[in-house]
Amino acid sequence: MKKLSEKFRLGLAIIMTKLTVFMLRLAGRGGTSLPGKIALKICPDIFNKLSDRFRIIMITGTNGKTTTSRIVAGMLEKAGLQYVSNKSGANLASGIATTLISSLSLTGKPIARTALLETDEAAFRTLAPKLKPEIIIVTNFFRDQLDRYGELYTTLNSVREGIQGSPESRLILNADDSLCASLGQNTSNPVIYFGLGDKVYPEDYLIANADAAFCINCKSRYEYLSSSFGHLGHFKCPNCGYERPAAQIECTQVLEYDNLSSTIEIQIPDGKIAVKLALPGLYNIYNALAGTAVGHILELKEDDLTYVLEGFECGFGRMETLLVSGRELKMILVKNPTGFNQVLKYLLTQNDKCVLAFSINDKLADGTDISWLWDVDFEILSFMQNKVRRFFVSGTRAEDMAVRLKYAGIPSDSIFIKHDDTELLDSMIEASNEGETIYLLPTYTAMLEIRKNLKKRYNLKEFWE
Amino acid sequence: MYELNICHLYPDLLNLYGDRGNIIALQRRCQWRDIEVNVENISIGDTFKYEDYDIIFIGGGQDYEQTIIQDDLMNGKRQAIVEAVEDGKVFLGICGGFQLLGKYYKTNNGKEIECLGALNVWTHAGDTRLIGDIVFEVDFLKSHGKNYCIVGFENHAGKTYLGEGVKPLGKVIKGFGNNGEDGFEGAVYKNTFCTYSHGSLLPKNPVLADHLIMLALLNKYPDFQGLTPLDDQLENLAHESLIKRFTE
Ligand SMILES: [Zn+2]
Repeated sequence: MKKLSEKFRLGLAIIMTKLTVFMLRLAGRGGTSLPGKIALKICPDIFNKLSDRFRIIMITGTNGKTTTSRIVAGMLEKAGLQYVSNKSGANLASGIATTLISSLSLTGKPIARTALLETDEAAFRTLAPKLKPEIIIVTNFFRDQLDRYGELYTTLNSVREGIQGSPESRLILNADDSLCASLGQNTSNPVIYFGLGDKVYPEDYLIANADAAFCINCKSRYEYLSSSFGHLGHFKCPNCGYERPAAQIECTQVLEYDNLSSTIEIQIPDGKIAVKLALPGLYNIYNALAGTAVGHILELKEDDLTYVLEGFECGFGRMETLLVSGRELKMILVKNPTGFNQVLKYLLTQNDKCVLAFSINDKLADGTDISWLWDVDFEILSFMQNKVRRFFVSGTRAEDMAVRLKYAGIPSDSIFIKHDDTELLDSMIEASNEGETIYLLPTYTAMLEIRKNLKKRYNLKEFWE
Repeated sequence: MYELNICHLYPDLLNLYGDRGNIIALQRRCQWRDIEVNVENISIGDTFKYEDYDIIFIGGGQDYEQTIIQDDLMNGKRQAIVEAVEDGKVFLGICGGFQLLGKYYKTNNGKEIECLGALNVWTHAGDTRLIGDIVFEVDFLKSHGKNYCIVGFENHAGKTYLGEGVKPLGKVIKGFGNNGEDGFEGAVYKNTFCTYSHGSLLPKNPVLADHLIMLALLNKYPDFQGLTPLDDQLENLAHESLIKRFTE
């Protein structure tokens, strides 16, 4: 009897979820979390029930989840695997439930066998043991939205607990991140590490505001042979000997590096490939390496790996280019100091006159504490001040951002506050000439709002598609 | 020409929540007035001679990082810090820095971790984190009969209580404050100011920033006449829009 009602509950959850998704779409809304919430209410152990119907790949870590996930998706496609994945930042339990159920038929049969799940670090703790993923990718640990998770080490520990509950999963870990790499210590899980080779990065980078300068085992200060950015690099603890593990997937050379792309050489266990990544920034090299690790597990040939990596372009919100009134609008999501600093460094490669806007919200999905703006090195903007026609700030924290720019050395009279998105876009267009670039750097919810506005104005695609 | 020396204690370890924004604010607001300003970072293993500085800042860290500095702080710099406070140096302690300046931190399992004891305050671990925007009214910043409120963001698990001789920094209008119980926020003792409010505190509460700068200048130059006003339009806009948003 119990068995029957259990089955019934799962069935009901599937039907209700599908119905809710359908209704939300009908109402013109991109429903990603509500349907899953309903499913979890009806059938709380739905993840346990669904786990053996899918081959699951989970991606977690503070930065680069979405880009990595999209590269992995490319690998899956190349391997000829049908997959489902969660999109638009629906990376909590409810969003993941929606994703999995949406790919089931009404009788509960999966339409695609593989599930690629970008997972919030805090949610990962309880989700991973239930979903029993075949592969777990952890990108890195940078300070992010502390008001939600308390502390960076809490985030690390919740991922660690999730992994401890998944002893069978194969781990793909960032070797250059002492926090992330520590997840591979004292564990029976098979591990593949990825990282940058020693002294590969073309720039000298000072570890200024490192998130983890001290040994996670014994609290001595790490020594670095070389470093790439943030606390990432070839670390070694002089006291207990914990050091950057050898990487099976390693970027051994950066052949070319500019504001739009980088050409790199990647060492894989059985060969070497040279690829031109159509992605700016050093952080994207790490994302590409994590994706390559999955391609390697899927036994893709060198040509196929290259094909996927070279064909990949920036996705949803991370960096999006569109033509508006003869200007090139580039929208780049910002959410924490490390990512933001990388975006600013990318902006420094801009050669022509441009307009620059920051849209900072403090809603729950952005992190309600915006103090991290003071950990971003806006001071480097002074190097490109003569190229920026105007600085705009908007969002619920527009004024905070204006003050931040002022204290970074930007003259007050070139900072303009715009609270209305329409007005912001109009002013940006007005302040620039045709053919120029306008940069818009929003936090997550600010990006959704601006997209909505752009969508209406320029007839863009629905973002949840 | 006036000159101020600022010391940032453990900037590589106690640097949560944009703490360095407070240093940037002090620095800029001096520079804009042609006051020469030097910032020195003092961390583990460095000698700390408080006499060399006019303003000392200590911020908050994660639990893990606070355990790293424990030995250096308690056995290396403790005496100098206590003397600096007693001597009337301008001292700003935020969040974890606030707790460290107190007598002890009592953990959930009853263990008392000894702190610097520069201030007669103590902290008990709480069950939930006190997180959110905070607004509090500060009496000594009152001007022209107008109340001055400070706005920031708090995020702390510890509940701090004030003992004899220490006054609260302000009265909570919105948020939790020191312990979520007595309606007070922060602590003042001589020229030492402590608060849970980060976010960053000084850039958008310029009146407090200037108050600290002025006290430091008066300490060093007894004939100091007063600060020249700055164009604080953006700062005031940020300050007032937030106060309005959180209190109305
Ligand atoms: Zn060690």
